[in-house]
Amino acid sequence: MKKITYNTKTYTKFITSLLLIIMLLICVDIADAKIYIDIASPGIRQLPIKIITTGDVKGFDLEKIIKSDLKFTGLIQFVDPDISGAEIVVTADVAIGSELTVVLSIQDLVAGKEVLKTRYVTKKGNIRVMGHRAADAIYQIATGQKGVFRTKLTYLAAAMSGKKALRIMDWDGFKSQKLVSRGLISSHSWSMDAKHLFYSAERRRQWKIYSLDLQKSKEAVLFSSKGLNIVGGTSPGGLIAFSSSKDGSSEIYTTDIKSSRTRKLTKAFGIDVSPVFSPDGTKIAFVSDRGGTPQLYIMRADGSNLRRLTYEGNYNTSPAWAPNGKWLSYSSRTNGKNQVFMVKSDGKDLRQLTFDGNNESPSFSPDGMFLAFDSDRDGEKGIYIMRANGEEQKRITPSYMKAWSPKWSPYLY
Amino acid sequence: MKKIIIVLLMLLAFGCSKKYTAPGQLTVEGDQSAPQKTMTTSPMEKEMVEEMSFGHEADVSETALSLEEQAAQVFRDIHFDFDRYDIMPEARPVLDEVASFLNQNKVLSIVITGHCDERGTNEYNLALGEKRSNAARSYLESQGVSSSRITAVTYGEETPVCTEHNEACWYQNRRAHFILSK
Repeated sequence: MKKITYNTKTYTKFITSLLLIIMLLICVDIADAKIYIDIASPGIRQLPIKIITTGDVKGFDLEKIIKSDLKFTGLIQFVDPDISGAEIVVTADVAIGSELTVVLSIQDLVAGKEVLKTRYVTKKGNIRVMGHRAADAIYQIATGQKGVFRTKLTYLAAAMSGKKALRIMDWDGFKSQKLVSRGLISSHSWSMDAKHLFYSAERRRQWKIYSLDLQKSKEAVLFSSKGLNIVGGTSPGGLIAFSSSKDGSSEIYTTDIKSSRTRKLTKAFGIDVSPVFSPDGTKIAFVSDRGGTPQLYIMRADGSNLRRLTYEGNYNTSPAWAPNGKWLSYSSRTNGKNQVFMVKSDGKDLRQLTFDGNNESPSFSPDGMFLAFDSDRDGEKGIYIMRANGEEQKRITPSYMKAWSPKWSPYLY
Repeated sequence: MKKIIIVLLMLLAFGCSKKYTAPGQLTVEGDQSAPQKTMTTSPMEKEMVEEMSFGHEADVSETALSLEEQAAQVFRDIHFDFDRYDIMPEARPVLDEVASFLNQNKVLSIVITGHCDERGTNEYNLALGEKRSNAARSYLESQGVSSSRITAVTYGEETPVCTEHNEACWYQNRRAHFILSK
């Protein structure tokens, strides 16, 4: 007996949000497995799931992590274990010896069969990784899509001393760790394979672009010249976009990671900055004040076919390209405050996603379902995440820590 | 009242050189809390000390201000409008002074740092701060300061001098700042 009722208001709201999610979706190839919630279909609903943990008491923590991950998607509804109505039952049997072991089983109650049974083993203290692993498995079965629960965010934060550092944390804000703190660090970006981080830092009054090998924890200079050099996005073809004022005025360049072949793409008197590639690598969006105020422009990756994207407002900066290539998010100054907006790459369908305080530096999750950004709505600037339709805005860094400029990693597994 | 009279009598008894004793001093000496003490450190003793020190008075020596000290007086911040990097009219006298100071002291080199208020976004502000430091640099160059003596660097909104969220504070932060380079 399965019956889900919605009141009309929730239902309409849900449908609108889903339409947006659908538009944001990457086209994934779906295997022959049954998809419980097809997030690409207009009739989308929340999937009722029951979760039961057994074994070690740590199972309680594990369950909390799994639920928190899945709830944030808005696609799954948890049903109390004592109440009927669930279509899927997840059991997690937790054992802690020298290692942490979870036997995960997922049952389809409607079809009356087990759709997954597997054992996960990790280091004893790795309860959060285990929780995210299990959430990814459940999400994959429910939606047929890859979850982002084991991705990370890099961001900038100021320590109590005021010293700024590039840090990394889980997608839910836990397990935060310092990566680099030498010099004054600014923009940063992930390599497509997630093995390197590129960032700009000022050391001895020189702004250079550095590269950090995340496995070896080894830093190298990637680009150095006089003036200001700020790293932008990366392309699947191995290019890094950046801005440099080596010839006087800040212009957009690309450089090939392997050959170091560098190409200058713009030539204007004013500021050209913050270049990001479209996911297919064929276009670059960037910020320019050539029209008098900072606005977003799009050109081909070779610098041709330049066109202006934004016309609303007089301060549009920080572009981020959605993984499906159709949308861009950016921050726009409206009523004296910066807000996160989304617009289609043809300039249509402009929408405002944030309204409270200043909200800046949007960055998409690799599946395009979520956005990370920074906000001062609760006082000190911190990192927030939300669904890409603006729902469920939540702070994930502590209230006492000043944190800004989040960059969502690609998939790590 | 009686005490004041006693004090007056005592003063008369002590010396005749006290003609300048002002009424103000009288009330101080008449302070009831320490009448004894006032009497022992009476003006006569003070006068002696003054006479003795007169013969040993040190002459005033003269040392020129160090270049650092002079620079600190000349190097005042110049300010900018929101999202602008053109030199404002009121910044010109400051820049002229910096330029003439540098033209008089050709051994000196400087660093110009460019800054922004918190309202812009971080990355764009870095570029804007650079434009501001470069605008100040160009102005100095136009006044004859050799470009090889000037280093310009931006800090965007990252190093504010004022951390409140109001226009007075933002104004202070939208600046180009001059530092002697070592």
